[in-house]
Amino acid sequence: MIPKRIASVLAILILMVFPASAVSMDPMAIIKAPIDTVITILNDPQYKVAGTKSVQRDKIWKIVKPLFDFDEISKRAVARNWKDFTDAEKAAFADVFAHFLGNTYIDKIQGEYHNERIVYIGQGFYSDVYAEVRTQIVRETVEIPVNYRMFKNGDGQWRVYDIIVEGVSLVKNYRTQFASILRKEKPAQLIQRLNKKLTEQNKRLAENG
Amino acid sequence: MSLLAVFLLMVSTVWADPSEPLTAMPPPGEEDTVPYAVVPYDPFDDDGDDIYDDEGELLETVADPISGFNRAMFVFNDKIYFWVLKPVAIGYRAVIPSPVRVSIKNVFYNLLMPVRLVNCLLQGKGKAAEGEFGRFVANTTVGVLGLFNPAKDYPELNPPEEDLGQTLGTYSIGNGFYIVWPVFGPSTLRDTVGSIGDWALNPFQFMQLVNVDAGALTSGTTNVIVYGVRTVNDTSFRIGDYEALKNAALDPYEAFRDAYIQNRNSRIAQ
Repeated sequence: MIPKRIASVLAILILMVFPASAVSMDPMAIIKAPIDTVITILNDPQYKVAGTKSVQRDKIWKIVKPLFDFDEISKRAVARNWKDFTDAEKAAFADVFAHFLGNTYIDKIQGEYHNERIVYIGQGFYSDVYAEVRTQIVRETVEIPVNYRMFKNGDGQWRVYDIIVEGVSLVKNYRTQFASILRKEKPAQLIQRLNKKLTEQNKRLAENG
Repeated sequence: MSLLAVFLLMVSTVWADPSEPLTAMPPPGEEDTVPYAVVPYDPFDDDGDDIYDDEGELLETVADPISGFNRAMFVFNDKIYFWVLKPVAIGYRAVIPSPVRVSIKNVFYNLLMPVRLVNCLLQGKGKAAEGEFGRFVANTTVGVLGLFNPAKDYPELNPPEEDLGQTLGTYSIGNGFYIVWPVFGPSTLRDTVGSIGDWALNPFQFMQLVNVDAGALTSGTTNVIVYGVRTVNDTSFRIGDYEALKNAALDPYEAFRDAYIQNRNSRIAQ
């Protein structure tokens, strides 16, 4: 009896001391918890009232944002041209790009959420620091594969650096667009373009409540 | 209780684990050929694809010599979507209950089995071909002529959807160039050839090809109506997806071109 009790006390102690080691090894759990919370918020009747959309959006953004490494996403999307950005431009770009992506996709799930289910299919590790979590959005009869590519950052935390929807990499999709703009324009102009889109977007979202 | 668990999970993820390696570095040997600072390293990308050539010139994901025509057709299709297809699909979705729409989708999918089966065989995918055939048998019998999808829960009966464009792709035939067809949308030279081949294998067309006279079933009008119903029915499940990708783009035309090519490449790789 006694060894068993000691063992369980020890187990609890270990869990208390190393809670992160168990979790940080599992990128899927890191994705799953916030997504489940977001779905709870999307289903929450208090946000079905008119005029609560922006509150809901802010709440979702706060939950989702820490999952992503927007500096890494920006760097990968701009690719080779990233070296032409000054440090200030890099920061400005990552900031506006993050808000632009957040607005776009949260607005989309707010407007079109129809009891989709998320199925967690599995995760693959390329190495200790690269992993891919495979999920599916199931909507009536349509299954949309969504894969989250993650890396372990300098602080040892898993962060998303790319999302692959139906085989289409978000980062690569923007890479093509950014590259053709940066062929003709300076980094500052690209940031300005994004800022303009963000302003329009914010205005439109504000009008829709 | 579950909320608490979620909270704990979220809090605990914030703690760093000092025993883990600290930096995300590409595996050794990789840095020599692909400098991380220049090409963002992604181990899940087998092509590692840089969008620049050695001289630093921008490479296109697909040749687009008729981009003037394509951009015009892109605008045309965009108008068709917003002015015709979307309102019709919204009305259709409001009137036709979800189970009926799902059944319509199932019937079409079942009828087009020969297209997928032949392409599985052309690609030497025996297991997938068996899966397609098994699915057809199950859904035609137990599933009452394809209205229902009892094969749904058996992964081996749900192989990835093959078509002739993908088959040609696996034969190392390139895209040729990008084409946006009015009404039918994005394609490439290779995929257009593929679609024409697949079209011949759809049941109505096939009857006509082998000179079976099924009256109205084989008429051109029927083909158009069937295509229309199928498009509206499919769209009724995906309203909002097109808008999302369009709103997320700085240059929608380029975004859709790239998305089309990426999606096709990933299907060919499957």
